[in-house]
Amino acid sequence: MTDRKLPFAGIRVCDFSWFAASPVATKLLADHGAEVIKMESSSHPDGIRLSNPKTPGLEDVSFNASGWFNNMNTSKLCMGLNLANPRAREVYDRLIMVSDIVIENFSPRVKDRMGLNYEDYAKIKPDLIWIDQPMQGLKGPHRNRAGFGAVITPLGGLSHLSGYPHRHPIGTGTNYTDYVINPGHLAIAIIGALRRRRKTGKGQHIVMAQVASAAAILETAVLDYTVNDRIQERTGNRTSDAAPHGCYPCKGEDRECTVMTSLGPAASKKNNRWCVIAVTTDEQWNSFCHVLGNPPWTKEDKFSTLLARKQNEDELDAMVGDWTKSRTPEDIMMTLQHAGVPAGVVQDAEDILVHDPQLRSRGYYVYLDHCETGNSAYDGFAFKLSETPGVLSRPAPRIGEHTEHVCKNILGMTEDEIDMLVVEEVLEIG
Amino acid sequence: MTGQESLLGDIRILDLTGESGVYCTKLLADLGADVLRIEPPGGHPMRNKGPFVHDAVDPEKSLYWFHFNTSKRGITLDLENADGREIFKKLVKTADVLVETFHPGYLDKIGIGYSVLKTINPNLVHTAITPFGQTGPYRDFLGPDIVAQAMGGLMFLAGFPEDPPYKLGCSQAYHSASVHAAAGTMIALYARDDIGMGQFVDVSLQESVLMSLETAMQHYDMRKEIRQRIGREEPVVPGIGLYPCKDGYVFSYVVAGFGAGWDEIIRWLDNEGMAGDLKDEKWNEVWETITNYKQLVALGNNPAKLMAMLEQFYHISGILKAFLATRTKQQIFDEAAERRIMINPVQNAKDLVESPQLNALEFFSTVEHPELGMTLKYPGAPYYHISDTPWRISRRAPLSGEHNTEIYEKELGLTREELLILKNEGAI
Repeated sequence: MTDRKLPFAGIRVCDFSWFAASPVATKLLADHGAEVIKMESSSHPDGIRLSNPKTPGLEDVSFNASGWFNNMNTSKLCMGLNLANPRAREVYDRLIMVSDIVIENFSPRVKDRMGLNYEDYAKIKPDLIWIDQPMQGLKGPHRNRAGFGAVITPLGGLSHLSGYPHRHPIGTGTNYTDYVINPGHLAIAIIGALRRRRKTGKGQHIVMAQVASAAAILETAVLDYTVNDRIQERTGNRTSDAAPHGCYPCKGEDRECTVMTSLGPAASKKNNRWCVIAVTTDEQWNSFCHVLGNPPWTKEDKFSTLLARKQNEDELDAMVGDWTKSRTPEDIMMTLQHAGVPAGVVQDAEDILVHDPQLRSRGYYVYLDHCETGNSAYDGFAFKLSETPGVLSRPAPRIGEHTEHVCKNILGMTEDEIDMLVVEEVLEIG
Repeated sequence: MTGQESLLGDIRILDLTGESGVYCTKLLADLGADVLRIEPPGGHPMRNKGPFVHDAVDPEKSLYWFHFNTSKRGITLDLENADGREIFKKLVKTADVLVETFHPGYLDKIGIGYSVLKTINPNLVHTAITPFGQTGPYRDFLGPDIVAQAMGGLMFLAGFPEDPPYKLGCSQAYHSASVHAAAGTMIALYARDDIGMGQFVDVSLQESVLMSLETAMQHYDMRKEIRQRIGREEPVVPGIGLYPCKDGYVFSYVVAGFGAGWDEIIRWLDNEGMAGDLKDEKWNEVWETITNYKQLVALGNNPAKLMAMLEQFYHISGILKAFLATRTKQQIFDEAAERRIMINPVQNAKDLVESPQLNALEFFSTVEHPELGMTLKYPGAPYYHISDTPWRISRRAPLSGEHNTEIYEKELGLTREELLILKNEGAI
């Protein structure tokens, strides 16, 4: 509201993490005031820096132009430190000793090689909050298996439960657990640990196996198996307690756009249009029929009750699709919602970023000026705090953008020391 | 475990959530918060949601209720009743957090909105989870999980181009919103110690899934490219995608530089006499392209080169596919693990429960249900280790009104007579 300081002002995070799940968690801390210091170098950058999409013209030349990376690393600082250089440890050991939180998500093999063991540092600095977020945990037969969000979705059980029953379980479209589930679960524990530390002065060791976090969000799938011996299967867009409950074709628009296919970008019409409709009560069914003009088919016995509609769902969906296909999804959503029937547009990124009046009204997306990508959109906050809202205080850092600041002002190094380490390719100034 | 400190042991939460927010309060309850699950008299509708224990439809046997209400205590209270609301206000006085999922404006309408509650208890953190948030032109729209996944853009990215888009399984908009809500609540609790007051946390289901669009928003923002669903039965780049095996599917993610690469796969296949012509030198250009992450990324921007290599890609992929089809997912998992090749099974609930790794992490918890004479095995900690304050399921989900006496008599000091009157008028 007023000039209140952000909640985590004064908290310093020594951030070894890379790729997605852990960086999104430290982004949350950074956007709420923590001083998060990333460590990477041009020879060993955070791998996401290489990934698309990039600003046109900078595809092959820059580590700083990846929209994927930039979105997950707002409000952070970056010290250019070559972690593969054995002398890097001199630097990060010093940073750890002046940090409140240390986080890493290497495979345990790499973590051990770098000497990043909580116990060793906690002996000297017992109030550290230390986070290891490996794929599979620090113990168990698969502890050393590396992986990515792409692997966690099938391994954690969500792919098996997503999609149509007769099709292959190709999964979730994106590396879903990387962006909310795993970083969110972790952030909750970190903030809890910070609260406790403020009250007791004690640090804490948090280990989160990403595969376990992903297996925790399967609703009743595990209990249904352990209690009823039933292996739940994917059900497409259907659900046992509502019908119609699905995704239906809509009228497209006659204008050009560029779409991403599995073989790269391609020109297309904006005609990939769909809506969802979810009739969850008898009252909604009556309203739905009314909106359609009560055509005779809606009065047939086979659609009169939820049970009957579930038994004739293929036919029901075909009838609903016949009605939707000559209408735009926006028109369907507005008409049905005003009649009290849940419905929505299957929105694409253009709809969401440019047109959606709800997201615009709430100011969800935030535009920041970045030295290489220019004015670019960033995800804002899915929770709005009335008194201490988060702020994207700066765009993602370039590699080594804050090396001098961190070395001088936080680690207390002299110019000579810094120069020496730059010459020896331990430090990098970007 | 008893006597051990918990992470949120000093926090009291009033839980008025439906399906979209119930995972939020479960998360906080399993971290030790004292969560009072408030149900309308007669029980929360969630109790009627299956599956049920041994498929016996019974509001005290809903596995859905069990799963999402672990570690909570339960009371019944009718907020539509004036006396019920007075009791609710008393509970608000000692609460730290309220989490609710009513339509925007509903609590205001019945006189217990945030503007009232904060005068009763300025320290209260009021967390509200709604389909589109408390403000904006769509704030009154209805939004079950599938609508939020659609409006949030997640569905547009999931599925095969030849099928309609599909939602992610297991109500992921609800899960994402609950996780965001818990994180926002935690920040508000942390900030409270500084600013000396609680605050309102406004969570939108639609916004909760936006971060999970990965790069779709940036593709449009930076390049005016629209990402869409691109699922295929056959992977484009060999080794990156789904392959059927003897008893299910495996997901292969042999990406340059992470884990072992194609040379190791070829050795593996060759050992079994199934490497076909993969040792031939004619594939050198292909290996160069797909075993270098930078080149692989560049290929995504170069459809012409990709098209030119496609036939070779399919040939190579076909050889891997034929090999994987001869094995079970567990065999593949074990053999690939030995070689540090990133090929993993697509696991179902049985695989998870039997997983040596999840069991080594003590992922599953057993919980007593004395009324049923059963001990049930629950999916467990998203965190398997928080050193001093472990995650744990401290009790099974509450029976309907189970803790009414504990809360109303012992804590609020209501007399038996008062309780009887409240019961007769339907307030509790």
